[in-house]
Amino acid sequence: MANIKFTGVHKSFGSNKIITDFNLLGKEDEFLVLVGPSGCGKSTLLRMIAGLEKIDEGEIFINDQKINELHPSKRQTAMVFQSYALYPHMNVYENMSFGLKIEKRPKEEINTKVMQAAKILKIEELLERKPKQLSGGQRQRVAIGRAITRNPKIFLFDEPLSNLDAALRAEMRVEISKLHNQIKTNMIYVTHDQVEAMTLADRIVILNHGNIEQVGTPEEIYNDPANVFVAQFIGTPKMNILKVSQEEISSNQINFLGNNVKIPNVNLEKKNYFIGIRPEHFSVSDDSEYKFEPKIDLIENLGNEKIAYIKMNNHEISAKISSQNKIENQMGFNSKDIFLFNENGERIKS
Amino acid sequence: MRTKNILIFSLISSFFLIFLISIWKILATLQGLNINSFNIEVIFVSGFFISLAQIGINDRIKNIYKSIIFSFAVVICDGYLIQKLPLWYNIGVFLILYFFTNKISKYNYNNLKEEHSTQVILFDFLTLFGILFFSFVILFPFYMMIVTSFKTQIALLVNPLDFSINFSQDIKDLFKSYFVIFKSYKFGKYILTSTIVSVGTVVITLLFAIPAAYAVARLNFFGKNFLSTSILIIYMFPAIVLVIPLYTIFSQLGLRNSIEGLLIVYTATTLPVAIYMLQGYFKSIPKELEEAAIMDKLSWFGIITKIIIPLSIPAISSVALYVFMIAWNEFLFSLMFLDNPNSFTLSRAIQYLSGDAETPRQYLMAGSVVVTLPVLFIFVYFEKYLVSGLTAGSVKG
Repeated sequence: MANIKFTGVHKSFGSNKIITDFNLLGKEDEFLVLVGPSGCGKSTLLRMIAGLEKIDEGEIFINDQKINELHPSKRQTAMVFQSYALYPHMNVYENMSFGLKIEKRPKEEINTKVMQAAKILKIEELLERKPKQLSGGQRQRVAIGRAITRNPKIFLFDEPLSNLDAALRAEMRVEISKLHNQIKTNMIYVTHDQVEAMTLADRIVILNHGNIEQVGTPEEIYNDPANVFVAQFIGTPKMNILKVSQEEISSNQINFLGNNVKIPNVNLEKKNYFIGIRPEHFSVSDDSEYKFEPKIDLIENLGNEKIAYIKMNNHEISAKISSQNKIENQMGFNSKDIFLFNENGERIKS
Repeated sequence: MRTKNILIFSLISSFFLIFLISIWKILATLQGLNINSFNIEVIFVSGFFISLAQIGINDRIKNIYKSIIFSFAVVICDGYLIQKLPLWYNIGVFLILYFFTNKISKYNYNNLKEEHSTQVILFDFLTLFGILFFSFVILFPFYMMIVTSFKTQIALLVNPLDFSINFSQDIKDLFKSYFVIFKSYKFGKYILTSTIVSVGTVVITLLFAIPAAYAVARLNFFGKNFLSTSILIIYMFPAIVLVIPLYTIFSQLGLRNSIEGLLIVYTATTLPVAIYMLQGYFKSIPKELEEAAIMDKLSWFGIITKIIIPLSIPAISSVALYVFMIAWNEFLFSLMFLDNPNSFTLSRAIQYLSGDAETPRQYLMAGSVVVTLPVLFIFVYFEKYLVSGLTAGSVKG
């Protein structure tokens, strides 16, 4: 039960500006995912909330209380580190109860809290073990358990799954999702993995060079990207972005892949544009609005789907189709799936 | 290729055998055995023959029988036919031969086929040579020290080159030197002084070194780089340069002949290396652990005592061991600052004894044994704490 508010937060390391004028309002019990390429300042932001990094300028509020000058331990946040950061000389129980012990809480209270957390994470039988006797996934569970026992208002996750292998990562992703449903608390989760962002988040914050590119629910981000960066960042393979020069525009239509495509509700000017279309929106069926003959460079078979790399009119396009379908000499797309961006990469909404 | 390999193998192994037997013969001579000659050619021929036969016989005879047969042959040849020598000497030769044949039994006709096998063999034997040579060089003075301490004055005067221990004498006579140094030379008091000084130095050094090393490793402050590099510059001044100014200062302050004075000097000399060793280890402790501890409401002091120190036990114990050995064996400062026999440390006491021409040599050696043994035991005991890898499992490696 908490909300978090950033107003005009700045941070720089030396002359290197990491975050410039960051403003955001987190809702209650929200699962907020900060996602962006490495070096975009997302971890710094998280560490500023935790108090491990000083805030240069601006304010951060938790429940309308300014936390800029508060000691990390008084901010009622708990952090799960990428590298787990478990105390190697203590067993799991001691690791989880350490914070409470420092606070000199009564023994029974510590015990119930640790047991509760262990039950939630299904690590009851591991309590006597030392961290080095645990597998990566178990260590991550203990690290989360340590955060739970602190009973924080805000959970901070700093790329918690990036050290795990693919299968375990998928499993832990589900666990974290369940955990959020179980203990309704604010969670702020930093990742560079768009799949984690899409699956976990209530709202996604997409960062680039310390600026917010877009904030929105996963659906909004996917269906309604604000600019080329966001459009390409979410979705695999990434969205095809094709440059359209002003010569290719005539009478409100764009010459695109041999078709004269009309974009609904948009008045086109004689300017350069970018057209975006997601690989999964190409199809091989006959009922598409527009069709073209693809020149296929390469096909990657992923089992359930195929990715075709197509070279056409100096454009390189990737298309994702179900592996049951055969690619013959025709492919199609619909005008509703086309995203239009202006020269600066900003979205032109139709 | 194979013939060449076999020849090289036989040559190397026979040289190795000569080396082994020669050491044994030197030791036997020191025990008072009169050996006419080293019989190097005989040993060489038998070594060569054994190596060849070993490859020729291969697996047709069990290894153990093979070794016993070869060993017996050499023992009879060297110990009975050429010169009749006592049984204990021959048992030694037999054991050496047994070790040797076992060692070479892993080379057979098949693996000598490979082109690089000579290199493997050469490296194998060189390692053995090295181990044996260095253990001989290092252990021999110890051996002499112990043997001399068990002798009587008369025995030493009669035959100074006799390095055997006469076990037939009474146990009281055997350990007489040790009783004497504790009774008449107050070695008990010296041990106590040395222990207080050494343990005190360890405690004080660690007390200063741990926070200092942590500061250098983790905290950012003005002049940090200058400080961390200048720590070792102190070591560029030889102790002899410092000893005279320190002498005058200590005389004026009345710190000569006092344990406090020694503690100050020893701490000052060991602190730089202690800080240097510890800061390197502290830097290797993942920073996230401390950040996690900060979020667990731990203060700086708590982080050092509850996180850093438990994780640095291996580094701290090796620093403690190093400081203890320096303080225990230190001689120059104790020579300069201590001239009252009541406040002598062990090393100073031994120097005092040896300066006195009337002190029998066996007492000196007994004293040396007393100085050496504690360090040895402490090293063996602490060795198990020196294992690294305590941080394993904290973060993903």
